Amino acid sequence: MLPDPSNPLLEVKDISLTFGGVEALKDVSFEILRGEVRAIIGPNGAGKSSMLNVINGFYYPQKGEIWFDGQLRDHMKPHDVARLGIARTFQNIALFKGMTTLDNLMAGRIIRMKTNLFWQALWKGPAQREEVEHRERVEHIIDFLKIQSIRNTPVGRLPYGLQKRVELGRALAAESKLLLLDEPMAGMNLEEKEDMCRFVLDVNQEFDTTIALIEHDMGVVMDISDRVVVLDYGKKLADGTPDAVRNDQAVIDAYLGVSSES
Amino acid sequence: MSPEILNIIEVLLNGLMAGIMYSLVALGFVLIFKASGIFNYAQGVMALFAALTLVGFQTGQIPFSHLINVMFGTDYHHWGEGMNSFLAIVLTILLMILFAWLVEKLVLKHLVNQAPIILFMATIGLAFFMEGFGDLMWGANIKTLDVGIPSGGSFWWEDVTREWAPEGADYYGMYIDVLDVWATVIAVALVTILTLFSQYTKIGRALRAVADDHQAALTVGISLRVIWVIVWSIAGFVALVAGIMWGSKSGVQFSLSLIALKALPVLILGGFTSIPGAIIGGLIIGVGEKLFEYSVGPMIGGATENWFAYVLALFFLMFRPQGLFGEKIIERV
Repeated sequence: MLPDPSNPLLEVKDISLTFGGVEALKDVSFEILRGEVRAIIGPNGAGKSSMLNVINGFYYPQKGEIWFDGQLRDHMKPHDVARLGIARTFQNIALFKGMTTLDNLMAGRIIRMKTNLFWQALWKGPAQREEVEHRERVEHIIDFLKIQSIRNTPVGRLPYGLQKRVELGRALAAESKLLLLDEPMAGMNLEEKEDMCRFVLDVNQEFDTTIALIEHDMGVVMDISDRVVVLDYGKKLADGTPDAVRNDQAVIDAYLGVSSES
Repeated sequence: MSPEILNIIEVLLNGLMAGIMYSLVALGFVLIFKASGIFNYAQGVMALFAALTLVGFQTGQIPFSHLINVMFGTDYHHWGEGMNSFLAIVLTILLMILFAWLVEKLVLKHLVNQAPIILFMATIGLAFFMEGFGDLMWGANIKTLDVGIPSGGSFWWEDVTREWAPEGADYYGMYIDVLDVWATVIAVALVTILTLFSQYTKIGRALRAVADDHQAALTVGISLRVIWVIVWSIAGFVALVAGIMWGSKSGVQFSLSLIALKALPVLILGGFTSIPGAIIGGLIIGVGEKLFEYSVGPMIGGATENWFAYVLALFFLMFRPQGLFGEKIIERV
């Protein structure tokens, strides 16, 4: 299914974000279409993570509009944004380290849980049925990410690569419309990177989730993303398919380095 | 058994039960510290305030009556016979929930992302405010609290234990306060409920998530502010239970807020983040100080219970600063 450009899932318009005198983002606009894998790239300090934090509600921009699912979004807290259907992972992993893999994934489903405290207290009827249902969904994700063996391990004890995978799992558990991944392959070895690439593509196809990701590994970005937006010093430098971006002169100068053939 | 051994058993039992009373206060500290990283200095005052309010409702005191009388020259003090204990407890719980909501609204909300020391200072302010407010609302006189929990020495236990001593020995049985036994039962029930709640309910899971990582909790859709109100409400409830037990034992008086200080060594022993730790820590302190007083006390002039807990805590800080059950924090370099 080709993404439909007339009805984007998320649209940021003229976003400007400043911290004191520092302009982290300046009039940045782009859109994320339904069903695509969208990469945000740029040198360090270009404003990529700031952009993700704006979309996710951690930062509130001084200027600009955010349209999600056809609606203009008000000033929203991160937990409200999560309920709206945006899940994310972090560059430096934010997991519930004292909880098991299973509990982390179940925590990811909190916004999907409906029964109230009264039923919870009685632990019968709807609450039990719901718990079983949520467990099934979570088990499906555990199978999908091949993390059965660490199901009951507190995640603080897991190696880095697996923690990244659990964090992806927790974001998946929310069954969000949009998944934001902040450097999902950072610090991984080649094999782990290949696995993660496959997971990202599978999530995109199997779960039908739209994905926006920040990544430094150009090979990965060019391989898995449908379209790329390039930021530099808080401004949008280029926007288009991987091929178009790769051949864009401004991008080559600013980021990819001068091509050896030229 | 010889009377000496029986005496030591008696000291042990009383130590365990005294420890439970410390644990009840320490529990409130742990709950708030786990969920928000705040060391709530006001926990002891919350127990005092809850007990004052409970007595006020029970006996039908008019809140702020002294203030009203001074301002308008009237002479109000009671509005009738008061109400039964159950109703008074329910009303006090509601008031503690309202209090939790106000704390979030007026204090915590404005201090999000501040350093822990700033939040700690805020709770010190809160403690002084509540002490003054409690005084203004219900008066500073010592009040008796009776919610129907039996108290006094157990004759049955005295009779039973007297039989244990050899025939003709100079032994009159063990003294155990029934109130302490009840405190133990209630504390065990409370800890069981809290543990089940945090392990098996959605809100419990959210509480643990917030305790673990604020940022991650936000991204899975948990509202920190809602969780904080819930946590402070639960801590208020635990404070009420502690206030009832301490108030029934030694009367509701303002020195009650000082028992909060005894919770500090309990926490250092048990670890600031562990509910079982608060219980075990309390038991160790309780038994330790009673045994020390019994064995070493007479040699050095007694009154060791005032300082023993703190010295024990000091030793713990040297060898196991995270406490028995606390999380050992290893910073990767």
